[in-house]
Amino acid sequence: MTLDEPRRPDPDALLLEAAKAGRGRLKVFLGMAPGVGKTYEMLAQAARRKAEGRDVLVGVVETHGRRETEALTTGLEILPRKPIDYRGRTLLEFDIDAALARKPELLLIDEFAHSNAPGSRHPKRWQDVVELVDAGVSVWTTLNVQHLESLVDVIWKITGVRQRETVPDSLLSKADEIEIVDITPAELRQRLAEGKVYVPETARLASEHFFKPENLTALRELALRRAAQAVDDELIGAMRRAGVSGPWPAGERILVLVGGDAMADHLVRTGRRLAEMMDAPWTVAHVERAGRAPPSTLSLSRVNEAMKLAEQLGGATLSLTGEDIVTVVADYCGKNNVTQLVIGKSRDSRWREALGRSFASAMMRHAQGVALHIVTERSSEPQGPSLRQVVAREPGAWRKYLPGFGYVAVATVAAWYLDRTFRASDLGMIFLAAVFTAAVRQGLRPALLAAGLAFLVYNYLFLEPRYSFVIGSPTDLLTLLVFLAVALVTGALAGRLQDQQRATSRRAAAITALLAASRRLSASAKKIDAATALAEQLAAATGVRAMILLPTGGEIAPAAAAPALSTLSAQDKASIATLGAQDMAAARWAWEHGEAAGAGTGTLPAAGWTFWPLQGISARAGVAAIEPRGQADAEAERYVLSLLDQGAIALERAELAAEASEADALRRSERLRTALLNSISHDLRTPLAGVLGAVTTLIEYGPELERPVQVDLLESVRDEAERLNRYVGNLLDMTKLEGGGVAPRTQATDLRDVVSAAAERVARRLGKRELVRDYPPTLSTVPADPALLEQALVNILENAIGYSDDGSRIEAAVYEDERNVVISIEDEGRGIPTAQLQQVFERFQRLEESSDRAAGAGTGLGLAIAKGFVEAMGGRIAAASPIHDGRGTRILISLPKEKRTPHWLL
Amino acid sequence: MSAYKPRILVIDDEPQMHRFLGPALGAAGFEALRADTGEAGLRAIASASPDAVVLDLGLPDMDGKDLLRAARAFYAGPVIVLSAREREAEKIATLDLGADDYVQKPFGVGEFLARLRVALRHKLERVGAEAVIQAGELELDLVKRLVSRAGEPVRLSPKEYELLARLAEGDGKVLTHRALLTAIWGPAHVEDLPYLRVLVGQLRQKLEAEPASPKHILTEPGVGYRFMR
Repeated sequence: MTLDEPRRPDPDALLLEAAKAGRGRLKVFLGMAPGVGKTYEMLAQAARRKAEGRDVLVGVVETHGRRETEALTTGLEILPRKPIDYRGRTLLEFDIDAALARKPELLLIDEFAHSNAPGSRHPKRWQDVVELVDAGVSVWTTLNVQHLESLVDVIWKITGVRQRETVPDSLLSKADEIEIVDITPAELRQRLAEGKVYVPETARLASEHFFKPENLTALRELALRRAAQAVDDELIGAMRRAGVSGPWPAGERILVLVGGDAMADHLVRTGRRLAEMMDAPWTVAHVERAGRAPPSTLSLSRVNEAMKLAEQLGGATLSLTGEDIVTVVADYCGKNNVTQLVIGKSRDSRWREALGRSFASAMMRHAQGVALHIVTERSSEPQGPSLRQVVAREPGAWRKYLPGFGYVAVATVAAWYLDRTFRASDLGMIFLAAVFTAAVRQGLRPALLAAGLAFLVYNYLFLEPRYSFVIGSPTDLLTLLVFLAVALVTGALAGRLQDQQRATSRRAAAITALLAASRRLSASAKKIDAATALAEQLAAATGVRAMILLPTGGEIAPAAAAPALSTLSAQDKASIATLGAQDMAAARWAWEHGEAAGAGTGTLPAAGWTFWPLQGISARAGVAAIEPRGQADAEAERYVLSLLDQGAIALERAELAAEASEADALRRSERLRTALLNSISHDLRTPLAGVLGAVTTLIEYGPELERPVQVDLLESVRDEAERLNRYVGNLLDMTKLEGGGVAPRTQATDLRDVVSAAAERVARRLGKRELVRDYPPTLSTVPADPALLEQALVNILENAIGYSDDGSRIEAAVYEDERNVVISIEDEGRGIPTAQLQQVFERFQRLEESSDRAAGAGTGLGLAIAKGFVEAMGGRIAAASPIHDGRGTRILISLPKEKRTPHWLL
Repeated sequence: MSAYKPRILVIDDEPQMHRFLGPALGAAGFEALRADTGEAGLRAIASASPDAVVLDLGLPDMDGKDLLRAARAFYAGPVIVLSAREREAEKIATLDLGADDYVQKPFGVGEFLARLRVALRHKLERVGAEAVIQAGELELDLVKRLVSRAGEPVRLSPKEYELLARLAEGDGKVLTHRALLTAIWGPAHVEDLPYLRVLVGQLRQKLEAEPASPKHILTEPGVGYRFMR
């Protein structure tokens, strides 16, 4: 930046400010120890605010019976506490929901580091505060410096007390204001002596140690330093926002390297303090070594813990991958301008150190321009279980030593036999083979055991002097060394190979399982199927019960569970059906906030399940509930997470598919409605046009018209009115059919009569067409409703008239077979294209628009009604076309005869 | 009644329309010709050269627009379109293709014959159009481009005058929005219906006794405007 360039505000600083907009302000009253008067100071200031007319609410204040402090709360509005039952006792806790609902301008919450009673929404009070500040409520709170996360081990060293209630340092950094409440250690001790400091009875003994003058002095220094730092931060922030250039720390970057050993969290805290002092960004990294077997569960969980801690303390986390740790780290440092590297020196590298090959010395050689901080292990910290313990604890680990004995036994028998038969001399080779086999198949340790055993047996049975362990010659010693060397080299090689193979096959198995699950999930077209599939896959992957909750009407409710609800015992079913209030609260939290909640998480950990949000691509699809289970290895955890992802997407897809088919159905019904409107518009208006036209002609010109013309006009009015009536009748019939209101009154019917009646009814509309009837002389009666059947036939005949030309023939025939009586109506009209044959019985289906007006028949409903009526009587209707010379349509109605006792039985 | 009876061709596939249109036309002093299909109708226009054509848009064998387009190639006489309401778009298209008027089904014979007479008069006058059009107390001099109301001159903007002249020349004929927009603002503005609505509103303010219930400049909803004397 040149000097002339105008100073621009730092965009990062402005962004930070913008992110804070809409949030409440957080003010922390920081003290060195209990009893310095933080609560008193906070209340005193709050009272002044109240006097200024501000909206102040006391969320929770512990006065510990001190009268001066209590006096200050009078006049302030106090939020009632929420009773929470815990192990038969009722604890009064801060009521976050009431506070959020009340939403005061300023809320006082004492004791920032307090742990909430199990069953509260958040396990820690500071989480309540974060939620409140995010929701726009300004909060004042109190904190003793010993509760700061990064200072936990420092405080422990100073005072010998290990704090369990801690607050992440990042919160203090984020606080908008920090006020230090300070008195001298001597004053504090005097207050303690006067009994003005509240100390619970049980802690009195420890507190005497705690309140030693030197402890207090150290704590006071820590508190003051933190406050000073915060003031610094604020000043720097203000300067950057204002665009003032200043003496920024010259780009220090800190990298903390953690492994799976017990030092991990100690390293993280060290890194954090270093970062604090240097005001530098810091990153915690872990190196995964490619090509190696996944580390043990224990070390993985340690790394995870350390990463979590780093995030809590405000550090970035990073996972590096590479074959050689030193190169990977040196590489990263070089590329990312890391200036400070923090590593730990653990005990088991001591022999490497002797060889000058410890990690620290390698790092010193490779990392250039980096300040190396080597943190040594603390002896008093309880160690993680040693390798021997781990091996011993691994159940069934001893079993892999057994085959070694077997190989040696086999070798002994073989050698014995060879020795007796051939007097063979080089029997050592046979034992070597046994050692080799053990090394290849069982790995290093069993191979070493087998080598020792083989040597002992070989020495005892086959080497002179026989039947004694005395070593006769130096070459025998060489034999032992060769055995051991083979065991070592081969075992190590085979071990690594096996580890790799195991890792590969485990990964392959995971991928296969995921593939299978994904196939299963994507095959589910319906949401409930997808939910069931997901629940089953989750249950199978975790070995515990899983449940899927889906949104229904603004709430989420259990939709599927595995094991399936039906196979559960009644008791289990009851427990699933009634998710407790805690569980539902956690489920709702996960649903609304898109974060995991419930058992094992930071939100509502008292719930009986862990709830995971199912985040789809565009929306949240639901919530998955998994019962808490024992220690899960990282691989399984990853698998469950990818299952959740896949499940969310499958659910989302199912939902979209459902929406699409709904839209499709809607479109179809829309089309039907349009057809209905068109039909009504056309078919009602056309006869009306005729009526209106004829009537107005008669009104205007009646006297001038000749008598026959007048009669014709009047007749046309009658015809059109009748046509209108038929159409309305059709609409009513269709409505009845749709509503299921057609109840045929069946009676034994001679179909010839019905056909004749229908023919009569259409006679006047035939025009020049000829209607031929073809009846057999005798005909069985069928059970039918004559009125419905007549209407059906009229509709079919009108259709035949409408689609055929003047002068053509229409034939109505009746015949019977074994079981049915059939009516056939044929015309010589244009016929129906084969492709449309299927649709002629659908409502409003016409061959083409307005093609049927000449005959005045078509309503688009006729055949649909005929079909409805015939089927209501238990008959069938079908159409065939063309029937001859590419023309003509035949409609067949078949009605089943009455089931009669066969005549040969009579 | 003169010896000459104007011959009116009715093209409609519905017999009940012919059943009353025939006698009504006859009684009103016309000679009715009948065609039941589009094809027969087209042939009749060519061979009989009727004085006016009444065309039903819902023909089974032919699109009414196609028929009109074909007929306009050799027939200049007035064409009145019969249609049901749901064929609005087709109706407007036929007006744009040169139909003179439309009547919506169902209709009374009186209204139909009045429209027919307007169309016929328009045809007769097309040869030597009037220079001065009188409509109630309105007087429009197409040569001098003067408009007066009850003897008082009315000042019109050029666009207003152009719209009035177009409508008056139509003399009872429906002019579609499209036709008016093209004539006044050019083909680029055929979709700018609001222009036309504003201009018609202004014109009614200046010319109509009661602009809210106009007597001369009439709205044909969804189709266009017509000028009535």
